[in-house]
Amino acid sequence: MKLTHRLAALSLLIATPLPAFAATINAVMYKNPQCSCCESYANYLEHNGFKVDIKPVNNLSQISSDAGVPADLEGCHTLMVDGYIVDGLVPVEIVKKLLTERPAITGITLAGMPAGAPGMGGEKQGPFVVYAFTKDGKAPTVYATE
Amino acid sequence: MNSVSNPFITRRKFLLAAASIAAAVPIRPALAMATGEYRIRVAPSQARFAGPDGPRTPVWAYDGTVPGPTLRLRQGQPARIIVENGLDEDTTVHWHGIRLPNAMDGVPGLTQKPIRPGENFIYEFTPPDAGTFWYHPHANSLVQLGRGLAGALVVEEVEPVAVDRDILWLLQDWRLAADGQIAGGFGSAMDASMSGRVGNVVTVNGTGPGDRSVKAGERVRLRLANASLARMMALRFEGHRPVVVAIDGQPCDPHEPEGGRLVLAPAMRIDIVLDMQGHPGSRHAVIDDFYDGLAYTLTTLAYDAAPPLRTHPLDTPVGLPRNPLPQPDLAGAERQEIVLQGGMMGGGKLKGVGGMMGMGMMGMNGGAAWAINGMSMTGDGHAGMAPQFTLKRGVTCHLTMRNETAWWHPMHVHGFSLSVISRNGSPVPHRQWQDTVLLAPKDTIECAFVADNPGDWMLHCHVADHQMAGLMTAFRVT
Repeated sequence: MKLTHRLAALSLLIATPLPAFAATINAVMYKNPQCSCCESYANYLEHNGFKVDIKPVNNLSQISSDAGVPADLEGCHTLMVDGYIVDGLVPVEIVKKLLTERPAITGITLAGMPAGAPGMGGEKQGPFVVYAFTKDGKAPTVYATE
Repeated sequence: MNSVSNPFITRRKFLLAAASIAAAVPIRPALAMATGEYRIRVAPSQARFAGPDGPRTPVWAYDGTVPGPTLRLRQGQPARIIVENGLDEDTTVHWHGIRLPNAMDGVPGLTQKPIRPGENFIYEFTPPDAGTFWYHPHANSLVQLGRGLAGALVVEEVEPVAVDRDILWLLQDWRLAADGQIAGGFGSAMDASMSGRVGNVVTVNGTGPGDRSVKAGERVRLRLANASLARMMALRFEGHRPVVVAIDGQPCDPHEPEGGRLVLAPAMRIDIVLDMQGHPGSRHAVIDDFYDGLAYTLTTLAYDAAPPLRTHPLDTPVGLPRNPLPQPDLAGAERQEIVLQGGMMGGGKLKGVGGMMGMGMMGMNGGAAWAINGMSMTGDGHAGMAPQFTLKRGVTCHLTMRNETAWWHPMHVHGFSLSVISRNGSPVPHRQWQDTVLLAPKDTIECAFVADNPGDWMLHCHVADHQMAGLMTAFRVT
């Protein structure tokens, strides 16, 4: 999506009341065929109002890279939702925040597979730092922490 | 030495020359000077994966072709192969599966000095075993293999095997970008810690999924070799019943694979006998369905219209003569264990080793994502690699390999073939010997070999990303 379109969408959002997420949000998840955590994460999204079309791919790192995810911030799968990239096990509140605020970015990512993240087992070891990235070569910025 | 002045121009040399002309590659062929003598140049080249009219893809190649020329040696006859390095970086050649002197094994630092740009190395060995082997670099392996450096090495039996045709499919997997060029991003952390750099184009002998012409009634020995960086394959031959006669070059008791599916991990070879019992003019897909939801047609067997060569399949036995492998003495064996650890979803086994779960991606910046027995040896091999264990020459080693990870690993041992005893406690039938043993997630394999060949030998995962990111070790035979 072009920046101008995004800005237009953003100003439209500011001018109108925020939509409640009553309708199902469609998303496409690209994942490694042999990774099971992503399926748990998809399941988690489906319990939170999303419909996730899972597409196993063998060249996930290529898809992720083509989608603009910085190599050092790759998550374990790539989700395409409503014009944005959501990479890795991002908590659903942050995904919804993204879809509501509609910032002029390409997407957001939670790098790696942090313990305690949605879809992962284990105890949370520290705050999850979700980064925003763009395709214009600028450094990623912190979008949200949880 | 000057190969061109050699007066013994063999039929093989002529055939290779003819083949290279047919492929329209303007680079000289591997020169077979006398039986078992070759000269191979490693250099950048171009390939056309979609056939002679398709787009060109820059590759790195042995003698200008992908795959490299098929080298044919004779069992028990000395071989001499001169390798010239025309790349801008170091290389070596590893003769995968051949039992040979340690100094000829092609591991930089560990068994030889790397071949510098512009330099040569002469490999000399006498293959004791007949079968299907292959060759590839062991320097900057991920990139060099991923850019195309691989070729088949066939060691012919002393007495020829009775089949109508002996053919070979060298399978390569390429990750191409949208513009048809080999995609960058070698060694990404995600590939390193998950299933490796699996690609998006698979070729058979260098070209994409075209037809393979066959004749009704013929008996074919088909040698399958998976030269991929990371792609596992599970091949089904629609309407046919392949019989496995050798694995990793070593003859086994002939058998049909479970479910008719040939599981071929990177670096593995399987020789099958196929009796072509389809009707003239019929077509049968060869399907690779290893990855759930990602099955595709590798190629199609296309029968020509000619009447069958014979009405019934040949009733001659399909078994191959056994190779002279030393028989392990399990009662007196020394036990060793290798535990594979790490990777994504690995449960934090790598804490303190180089990678860590729960804190971003492992395998970043060439770091470790994997370990063997708590130790991550990364890269391609180097001087001063401390052996994991030492075996006295002549002793039988009973080796247990335990995969604690959530991923598949074809474990390759250099210099030896392993007698595969059991998988997860169940005996492995068919008297199988392998140099590359595939471990599914959580698998435990028991195998054995006689440590009859002195030197420092590598043992590593043949998913190239996994090897580079720590799934490698070495052992010593004194």
